[in-house]
Amino acid sequence: MKLLNKTTRSYLVYSFVILLITIPLFYFTIKSALLHAVDRSLKTQMRDIRANLSDIHSQNDLEAWSRLDKDIRLLKGATRSSDTISTVYLYNGRHREKEPYREISGTISVEGNLYTLIISSSLVENEDLLGSILLVETLLLILLMGGVLLINRATSKRIWKPFYVALNNVKNFELNKNSNAEFKKSDIEEFEVLNKAIYNLFSRSYETYLQQKEFTENASHELQTPLAIFQNKLELLMQTTPLTEEQAGLIQDMESTNLRLGRLNKSLLLLAKIENHQFGDEELVNVTTLAVGIVQQFSEQASEARISIKETYKNALTVKANRSLVEILIINLLTNAIRYNRTPGEITIAIDNTTLAVCNTGINTPLDEKIFERFYKADSNINHTEGTGLGLAIVENICRLFDFRLAYGFKDNLHCFTVDFAADHHAT
Amino acid sequence: MKILIIEDEQELLNSMLTYLRGENYVCESAASYEAARQKIESFSYDCILLDITLPGGNGLVLLEELKTDNKTSGIIIISAKDSITDKIKGLDLGADDYLSKPFHLSELNARISAVIRRRHFSGSTVLTFHEIVVDLIAKTILVHKKPVDLTRKEYDLLLYLALNKNRVVSKNAIAEHLSGDSVALFDNFDFIYTHMKNLKRKLHQAGSRDYIKSIYGMGYKFEV
Repeated sequence: MKLLNKTTRSYLVYSFVILLITIPLFYFTIKSALLHAVDRSLKTQMRDIRANLSDIHSQNDLEAWSRLDKDIRLLKGATRSSDTISTVYLYNGRHREKEPYREISGTISVEGNLYTLIISSSLVENEDLLGSILLVETLLLILLMGGVLLINRATSKRIWKPFYVALNNVKNFELNKNSNAEFKKSDIEEFEVLNKAIYNLFSRSYETYLQQKEFTENASHELQTPLAIFQNKLELLMQTTPLTEEQAGLIQDMESTNLRLGRLNKSLLLLAKIENHQFGDEELVNVTTLAVGIVQQFSEQASEARISIKETYKNALTVKANRSLVEILIINLLTNAIRYNRTPGEITIAIDNTTLAVCNTGINTPLDEKIFERFYKADSNINHTEGTGLGLAIVENICRLFDFRLAYGFKDNLHCFTVDFAADHHAT
Repeated sequence: MKILIIEDEQELLNSMLTYLRGENYVCESAASYEAARQKIESFSYDCILLDITLPGGNGLVLLEELKTDNKTSGIIIISAKDSITDKIKGLDLGADDYLSKPFHLSELNARISAVIRRRHFSGSTVLTFHEIVVDLIAKTILVHKKPVDLTRKEYDLLLYLALNKNRVVSKNAIAEHLSGDSVALFDNFDFIYTHMKNLKRKLHQAGSRDYIKSIYGMGYKFEV
């Protein structure tokens, strides 16, 4: 739920509840107040009549009076009792329906006879008044609350604007690009603090990124140079005479180890570079063309190991990514397929609309999920001492960088690695 | 042939000097930006090996100066930064080649000969080793003046060994040379045996003596 809706919703609920409670409350309060007023007027009338009874001297006077005043009725023969007030519904000939009346009934004594006197007052006008008052009040309430809501919403929108700008900046932040995001100035202290904090975070992250990048390059330089020195000294050692077979064997072992060290260093740097997003340039890469070329390059190594490679290319698969990384991805999958194969063995490479699948024969059991972890090497009897243990970790990192989906499966004694390039609509 | 090696790492410099002097090159060295600049201004070289990260300055700046001064030296950048951007930048600035550390001395030597050959058009385009003649332009070889049909890999192999004649060239160096950049990641170098076997057979059939000696399985030497 959006922030604005959230705050507005509380107001809405509150307004609704208040409306629900106040309208009936209002109705009953006014109604009882009106009734009270009517009752008081009835009582006053009764009192006035009693006070003026001395003006009536005969039965005829009484009848004439009661006939003239439609609001009073006189009933003969009553026992003395106290005044009572009640609401009754009487038929109104003019409106042809029953209408509410308030009546006071009390005993009066004229010339020694006791009469029951009933004074009534129509409540129809009161009800009409009540209705009008209620209507106006309800309208007022609705207008008031609606207005408050709208104003609140508009103000909130304006007040939260810097927040949304900041939010958008955070969303669009990319580590490998120096952020020149613009923040909206705000007179609200918290937002100014937030903007400053985010801005500082951006610049600090970028600085750290630069430092790390620099460190990566420095580490590369620092390690490559001693590796080069060692390599070259070994080559000079090879030229020395006399050279015994034992020495030659040792030199060869050292050279192989040093090469492995060099590969390991290169792989680690590559991983660091991928993780630091240092491969910025993306272009449309034709995976099929790349795969054809790479298979060609490795065909010799494969045939040397008596491994046959079967290629099935349904069509040209193009993805938007960094060319070198896609190349490394295919090379790593293929070298693994050769390295962890058996002799004789086979490899199938298939490309269809969105996926690249590299399958190979090898051990007859599925591999552990840990194969994607760094330095994990499958425990098998097949001789594969020279891998760096980083190949698949690099593949996985490349896939994560470009949102490709990487999957491993074991079927029909084939180990299959599948890369789905369309996971994020990179494929075109 | 005169070579200037600009490299601040003393041990690396020593190794290069030892190997290249053994190839009868006249070698000089500079260990800093300033020293390199002075040498470049005062003398001329057939080939300059240039490290990019130098104390006192960037090697690429030296490269720019060399190019604006219209010096004809061939330039090979030797860099610890194995970055494509740097490589492209270096080659754009006019370097002839780019070698990233660590490298094989035999590879460096082969690249130097290639650069020098390209720079000196007047120079010989054939290499002769007794009955074997390598035509560098046509990329063919003749044994007893008769052409021998070699595959591209076999030709490259022979040339690589011949350029490093009388030197032990390790199997790893040969494998990396033959397979190029990407396959350098690969560890199985057995495939070179096949090429070696075929090359030796073809040379033998053409009547050549066996100049390629295997050195205890560690590498090969072209002995003339």
